[in-house]
Amino acid sequence: MLIIFALPRAVPGNPLSTLLSRILQQAQANPELVKAVYKRLMEEFGVGKPLHVQFIDFISRTLRGDLGTSIAFYPRKVSEIVATYLPWTLGLLIPATLTSWIIGNILGALAGYKRKSAFDNVMLPVFLTLSQTPYYWLAMILLYVFAVTLGIFPLGGGYSSGRIPSLTLEFIADAASHYALPFLSIVLSAIGSWAIGMRVMVIYELGADYVNYADSLGLPDTKLLRYVFKNSMLPQITGLALSFGTMLGGSLITELVFSYPGTGYLLFRAITTLDYPLIQGIFILLISTLLLANLIVDFVYAYIDPRIRTGYVGE
Amino acid sequence: MTLLEAEHVKAYYRVRDGFVKAVDDVSLHLDRDVIMGLAGESGCGKSTLVNTLMLNIRPPLHLIDGRITLDGNLLSKMDKQTLKKKVWGILVSIVPQAALNALMPTKRIIDLVRDVIRAHMDVSDAEILSMARRRFEELNLPVEALNMYPHELSGGMRQRAVIAISTLLNPKLLIVDEPTSALDVSTQKQVLRLLIDLRRAKIIESMIFVTHDIAVLRQIADKITIMYAGKIVESALTDDILYNSKHPYTCGLINAVMTPEPEVRRRGLMSIPGEPPNLLNPPSGCRFHPRCPYAMDICKREEPPLIEVKEGWTVTCHLVALGKR
Amino acid sequence: MVSQLLRDLTRIKKFDLSIAIFSSILMIGLVGPMVYQVNPTKMIGPPEIPPSDKYPLGTDSYGRDLLAQLLHGIRNSIYIGATAAAISLAIGVTIGALSGYKGGVTDSSLMLVTDVVCALPSIMLMMLIAAYLKERNPMLVALVIGITSWPWVARAVRSQILSLKSREFIYMSKMAGLSDSKIIFQDLLPNMASYIFMAFVLLMSGAMIAEAGLSMIGLGVTRGVSLGMILYWAQLLESVRRGLWWWFIPPGACLVALATSLLLLSTALDEYFSPRLKGG
Repeated sequence: MLIIFALPRAVPGNPLSTLLSRILQQAQANPELVKAVYKRLMEEFGVGKPLHVQFIDFISRTLRGDLGTSIAFYPRKVSEIVATYLPWTLGLLIPATLTSWIIGNILGALAGYKRKSAFDNVMLPVFLTLSQTPYYWLAMILLYVFAVTLGIFPLGGGYSSGRIPSLTLEFIADAASHYALPFLSIVLSAIGSWAIGMRVMVIYELGADYVNYADSLGLPDTKLLRYVFKNSMLPQITGLALSFGTMLGGSLITELVFSYPGTGYLLFRAITTLDYPLIQGIFILLISTLLLANLIVDFVYAYIDPRIRTGYVGE
Repeated sequence: MTLLEAEHVKAYYRVRDGFVKAVDDVSLHLDRDVIMGLAGESGCGKSTLVNTLMLNIRPPLHLIDGRITLDGNLLSKMDKQTLKKKVWGILVSIVPQAALNALMPTKRIIDLVRDVIRAHMDVSDAEILSMARRRFEELNLPVEALNMYPHELSGGMRQRAVIAISTLLNPKLLIVDEPTSALDVSTQKQVLRLLIDLRRAKIIESMIFVTHDIAVLRQIADKITIMYAGKIVESALTDDILYNSKHPYTCGLINAVMTPEPEVRRRGLMSIPGEPPNLLNPPSGCRFHPRCPYAMDICKREEPPLIEVKEGWTVTCHLVALGKR
Repeated sequence: MVSQLLRDLTRIKKFDLSIAIFSSILMIGLVGPMVYQVNPTKMIGPPEIPPSDKYPLGTDSYGRDLLAQLLHGIRNSIYIGATAAAISLAIGVTIGALSGYKGGVTDSSLMLVTDVVCALPSIMLMMLIAAYLKERNPMLVALVIGITSWPWVARAVRSQILSLKSREFIYMSKMAGLSDSKIIFQDLLPNMASYIFMAFVLLMSGAMIAEAGLSMIGLGVTRGVSLGMILYWAQLLESVRRGLWWWFIPPGACLVALATSLLLLSTALDEYFSPRLKGG
């Protein structure tokens, strides 16, 4: 919290002047009016007050759910703005993360099981490369191939311009076609890293004592695979929690490529206009969402791993 | 009556620089209703041998040569699937080294029991549960353990649980690999008691007990086989090995164990000088010759023959062949 | 000893391959600008020309030569990547070593700091910090990336130190009266040299991608060229939608190749340094 607050303030440069100059350009107002407006704005944004007062203000207002008013989008409130854009980001991020996690793990497990087979030998380099491919570059390629050249998918945006978001089937279908490419680019490149992790786990577990023992008792291979899969999943679940942060960052940039109306796009605008409250607001919301997601995953993990459930402290 | 017959078995590990000859031309004979102890230094190939005997082999270990027959079944020619379905768990079972780690941490004991039984028989859950209970009661194991996770049980309890699981389907031969090595003395006693009970209750017929601790074998084994550097050097009844051993290595091994037996104490404390050989390039001739106090010229050049001193007593040594011991 | 190490390493195919890919690109980046003496930032030709004889990789919307941009970009991206990695490594190793070796209060407080930095998604932190720097030179960008990517290194180093700490040779050094820092630098760290090197490789790969990410959102170097910046301009000027494939495909491909070869290198090193206990 402190960091989020402190950093923007620590930077020289007064966003108000930017806003002011813009207003001036539009209003061509006289100096008296300008001063009055400036003063009013200063009060509203608390820029003139001493720093610690500003901070206290900030905390109290945030706790009350009031994230301030955006400078660039004045006079809309930050929380309102973010609320409009956030769902698009989450709608993209959450399904994409889960899908890539599931598919990546399955593929990785297969590759690990069929080690040294043709499948593994081909897929491993693929996974390696995919894992290092930035989402947005992949996005560019997909956009180019499918939207520009082949024209299967639309060129960008969350939905065709001129349409109004509503819950009609028509709109949903339209939004879906706009959704496809961003979704795909995130999923494809994320699969890479999950697959590699899972493959390594599976290879490791396959050589584990308990697997060999079960094998020597005559348990069928399919059963053993299930054991291995289950045990390899545990660290992957933790990994899921840790990956939210990275995926979030990557997807934000992907939104840019597609001009997708999500938080990334918003952030970009906020940065260019030095819109403190907006930047702060976005970060706060995103980070809280992240923390929340982490918490959920922690619970799930504790539930699944019996060691934690039964209070395993250590040998 | 023969239960297990192994003839000229060779099992090597393939490594980058060649082959590690962990089991090099080993022949073994085991009758029914016999508990055989397999003893030797660490790294002499005992674990490899017993796993090979039940064909529990994975790369980089390969069976190079030999015939292995168990209860009339030629194991050495079977493929893995057949072994899993017809042999492992039913005819022969192994309790691996560090059995404490052989249990999957995320499954309860009863879950593994269920999986093992289901792999070979088609029975309902309820029947499985009652089978498990009955067996545990029979072996004096706490029935509550069935519902626990491995980490909730003590080391000794886990070891006994693994033994119980390995014998669920009454295999004729049970192989236990260093079952007492990680345990304190009182827990060791519990485990040994369990093993003895298994034979008494006729749940198993014969057992091969692998260890480097000879003192334990005295309490439980009918026969003892001594292994050195991938080869069997002597095999005889327990008492013969302990008090009348013929092979120099056996003598050294027995003497190195301090026991309050006047006979052994009389001979003095002898430890065997030198180090166990490298199995990648074992010594020529008799593998023990670099460390043998009685080594002769021929020991360096030729591998010693197998001599049958008496029925059931074999030694592989030139000295014995030439009648010098 | 080093020559033996190299000889053994080159036996591993992965190592050879990854080194080959990486160093060839590196070479191109280092030597290229000297050979192909075109200024990447000057307008030298008609805009948006596809690859041709005169302009091997075509030109961008400002009429700048893209091959020149690529060559300079490779150089800068690698520079930033390596510098950021070095910074992260320095921070991470120092914190991890101090934390692991000293234990107690030092340990708890350092780990607390590590946890905090770890919990904040590094990308966001980078964006946050970079957003408020008016002028960003490569060094600064490297710094930003460097100070946000070290937590995992600190953690790993700490656990390695913890396990090495109780070994005999450390005890002997202590008995001999060596100061703490001497022990850390002369005894402990050399034992972890292999891990440190691997960490560096991974850090570098991550840093290059992070640089590209920052650039994409507008927070890269303010002057100069890097692979990320090329992509940034490509994105800004809608090169994708206008089908100017020669603009965004080469830099991205180079980035992927560099990062992947580094990753491959680290797995090759891992294979060599951690003996495989289970064969196969």
